[in-house]
Amino acid sequence: MALRELSSLEKFLELKKPNKYSTQGDKKVPVLQSSDGPPLVGLITIACNLVKEAKRSELLGDSAESRAVVQQWLEYRVTKLNNYNKDDIRTILKDLNLYLQDKTFMAENQFTLADILMYYGIHPIILDLAMQEKEQFMNVTRWFDHIQHYPGVRRHLPPVVVLKNRIYPSRH
Amino acid sequence: MAAGTLYTYPENWRAFKAQIAAQYSGAALKVASTTPAFTFGQTNRTPAFLQNFPLGKVPAYQGDDGFCLFESNAIAHYLSNEALRGATPQAAAQVLQWVSFADSEIIPPASTWVFPTLGIMQFNKQATEQAKEDVKRALTVLNQHLNTRTFLVGERISLADITVVCSMLWLYKQVLEPSFRQPYNNVNRWFITCINQPQFKVVLGEVKLCEKMAQFDAKKFAEMQPKKEAAPKKEKAPKEAAKPQEKKEKKKEEKKEEKKPAPEEDMDDCDAALAAEPKSKDPFAHLPKSTFVMIEFKRKYSNEDTLAVAIPHFWDNFDKEGYSIWYSQYKYSDELTLTFKSCNLITGMFQRLDKLRKNAFASVILFGTDNNSSISGIWVFRGQELAFPVTDWQIDYESYDWRKLDSDSEECKTMVKEYFAWEGDFKHVGKAFNQGKIFK
Ligand SMILES: N[C@@H](CCC(=O)N[C@@H](CS)C(=O)NCC(=O)O)C(=O)O
Repeated sequence: MALRELSSLEKFLELKKPNKYSTQGDKKVPVLQSSDGPPLVGLITIACNLVKEAKRSELLGDSAESRAVVQQWLEYRVTKLNNYNKDDIRTILKDLNLYLQDKTFMAENQFTLADILMYYGIHPIILDLAMQEKEQFMNVTRWFDHIQHYPGVRRHLPPVVVLKNRIYPSRH
Repeated sequence: MAAGTLYTYPENWRAFKAQIAAQYSGAALKVASTTPAFTFGQTNRTPAFLQNFPLGKVPAYQGDDGFCLFESNAIAHYLSNEALRGATPQAAAQVLQWVSFADSEIIPPASTWVFPTLGIMQFNKQATEQAKEDVKRALTVLNQHLNTRTFLVGERISLADITVVCSMLWLYKQVLEPSFRQPYNNVNRWFITCINQPQFKVVLGEVKLCEKMAQFDAKKFAEMQPKKEAAPKKEKAPKEAAKPQEKKEKKKEEKKEEKKPAPEEDMDDCDAALAAEPKSKDPFAHLPKSTFVMIEFKRKYSNEDTLAVAIPHFWDNFDKEGYSIWYSQYKYSDELTLTFKSCNLITGMFQRLDKLRKNAFASVILFGTDNNSSISGIWVFRGQELAFPVTDWQIDYESYDWRKLDSDSEECKTMVKEYFAWEGDFKHVGKAFNQGKIFK
């Protein structure tokens, strides 16, 4: 999964030639051989590198605070969303829903790499949600829908249907 | 891509809409908001401005190609790109929906609530309470809408967001304290996201959200009042407030006809902007120095022979860059009856124009006899525009036809000679000289 994600990210960043990745270990951690140094290991390391290569460093945050928040969510992404069991899902959705109550994006007021990788990571969870659950976690759903419509982001993933007019309006 | 100039006073939320739209679309927009490019209350009353923008209101846009627009929403629309305007017929209509919503549901109650806190409007408890309720209703609608949406229309910022944000700036800055705005979490999130977009930030700067609801600023209100001495009704304001019921009803009626609350009684943000404009004592201050000394000429005209000394002095010293010569003709000569009444017309005008004496000279002549007369004159004005950004000028300006003369022309030389000396053929008139008046 991480490899498709990285290739989508490359396209989003409009990087000219696609990289060749390999994986290591049972967790299939992505590895990128670089021509002039040690190999880059792990989703976050590689993704941040691609962003810099594309000269889009604003996607890593445009202030010290937002850079820290971006890193925090990238970390969350690989620790919580790379492998979870069924019981974790509600906790994840609850946490995120609370966090996104007063936010449009994952970090500060800008679209960043954290939005992209969180979106890729949470996509399978959202895809499985019933309409009523999507409404229950409205802040996550709203954020998710915004990111999946963000030009160039969705790529390899199927769109998830989100209704703007709630059908279970009494639930919050 | 549109390129042009936006005329406005500084920090005008109506102008912000166009400025932010231009940030998104990349339209090359210059802003003229300060002297000498634009002086609110002066530039927008010159004939040149009124020619393009008949209301004399700002913001007003003039394209480099000459294309002119007034009304802030139209200007913002023009300076937008397709994405901001809404790319499908549905999206475009939704944008228009929210733009109209801002004008009709937000601005009226926001003004009623906020203006007293800025000291530009008398406080009326009931009106304010009603306005708070109306603001809450608008916020509830927005909050509901933004519960499932990031921006107002589609998944991108549009003119709808720009317009509604700008119309809520005063609310968020002055009165929506944390406890008041807390129930409208979705609106807060959206508002904060918008004002933090780089395209908003360059125009708005840092927007500081209200920490404590501002209350009626009685001191500032009192200070602002003398500036509007022209309206004697003002004195009654506190007494009227004692009968709020009646006043409110009256207000409500007025509100229906006109969007601004109680227009002729209170100031609004326009008047406040006008009052805040540094009043230059001399409306001609921005003009470059001239070699022609008006007072010197007037002295010669008063004390020496007109034909032998004053007129030669005039032409020796006249500076056609710094001054202009105008021919004025009274439009309604058919209505002129008794000559003494006609003369009062002229002297009345001179009195109203008193403030111009340092910068203008005129000889205005009544020709003909009772019931068959006409009035015309020659004016020398500082600058190249008719100098009338001065109180009470408008009536007189509109009663005359004005024609700028080419100071090098024979026609001009002849007219100056005849009008200054009160003698000659006055060929262009066809009536005999009756009497003249000098503005000096
Ligand atoms: N609906 C107009 C309102 C414009 C307006 O009222 N402009 C005021 C300033 S706030 C103005 O220029 N007043 C000058 C005057 O009336 O002489 C818009 O949105 O552009």
